[in-house]
Amino acid sequence: MAVIYIKAERNIEVSNPRVRLGDVLKIESQDPKLLEQIKKIPLMTFQNTDQKQESRVAISVLGVIKKIHGEIPDLEIQNVGEIDFIITYKKEKDAGKLMHLLKIVFVVLISFFGAAFSAMAFNNDVDTVTMFGQIYQLVTGRTSDGFTILEITYSIGLIVGILIFFNHFGKSKVSVDPTPLEVEMRLYENDIQTTLIENYSRNSGNKEDSSNGKGSKG
Amino acid sequence: MWMQQLWLAVIGLSAGAVVAGGVFSFIIGLGVVSDFADRTHTGEHIRLYEDAIALGGILGTVFFIFQLRIPGGTWLLPLFGLFGGVFVGCWAMALAEILNLFPIFIRRAKLQMCIKYIVLGIAMGKTAGAMLFFAQRW
Repeated sequence: MAVIYIKAERNIEVSNPRVRLGDVLKIESQDPKLLEQIKKIPLMTFQNTDQKQESRVAISVLGVIKKIHGEIPDLEIQNVGEIDFIITYKKEKDAGKLMHLLKIVFVVLISFFGAAFSAMAFNNDVDTVTMFGQIYQLVTGRTSDGFTILEITYSIGLIVGILIFFNHFGKSKVSVDPTPLEVEMRLYENDIQTTLIENYSRNSGNKEDSSNGKGSKG
Repeated sequence: MWMQQLWLAVIGLSAGAVVAGGVFSFIIGLGVVSDFADRTHTGEHIRLYEDAIALGGILGTVFFIFQLRIPGGTWLLPLFGLFGGVFVGCWAMALAEILNLFPIFIRRAKLQMCIKYIVLGIAMGKTAGAMLFFAQRW
């Protein structure tokens, strides 16, 4: 009996509404002919694609295995990827480069002014200026004029701390690790994907359609 | 004399580095910027966003600590107000989200529908509060 291995990522984007197994899965088999045959098996079709820019379904691997067995009954299938995964259909659009740029500018401005606001709000909240005056007096016995080595080194320390924390500035990177925002971004995406999969699995009970293999978990 | 200056320098440097770590991991950890990057589908530019955060934090601190005057800075005020406001608005809600405020309230009060009106209510309430705060010069 032939064995095939299938692997799905958690979130797959397609631009063709007619989804075939080869579009969403990584498939490995020792028999190249079998492989081609499996890749061509239709999985599902996105309906009403002209009305919506995006639509999404959650698929259970069980449904996928059912599809393959429907075509080739005598086959052992090993799933080495996700158990439930999301297919997002997205219309291809190349327009909106300016819009994209505007969005980037928007987020950059929010990040910049937001961070400036937070830093100042923090310094104001803990009253850094007064506290530095007190520390200065404690150490030297003289009153601070508000522009001493303490303020200068604090600013340098802040810069060093930020650059160490973010691990890079511009293109020059300090180490090979991903930056904190990259990590946070992945976490956020994971949360979204988990939520989507669980939502679809939860809602699929009443409108289960075995032909598109919607999730059966939960 | 130089001993005192050295002490001050050590205190200043360490204070700055630790504050930077704390405040900025808070900014990142609340996920406001990653949320924005995801929603605008510009995730490939997060390095740029990080640079913006770093620069904003550095300049904000420098101008605040030294009480510097920004030359010709009046045009900056509406920008600062608008984008700072957007950031703080998102920040406040992200904080509520992190603390699981919504799931708990929705479960306790057995709310299923109308969640969007609750969100709208919170947004209006926050805006009204901010307006009152500034109008009364508190």
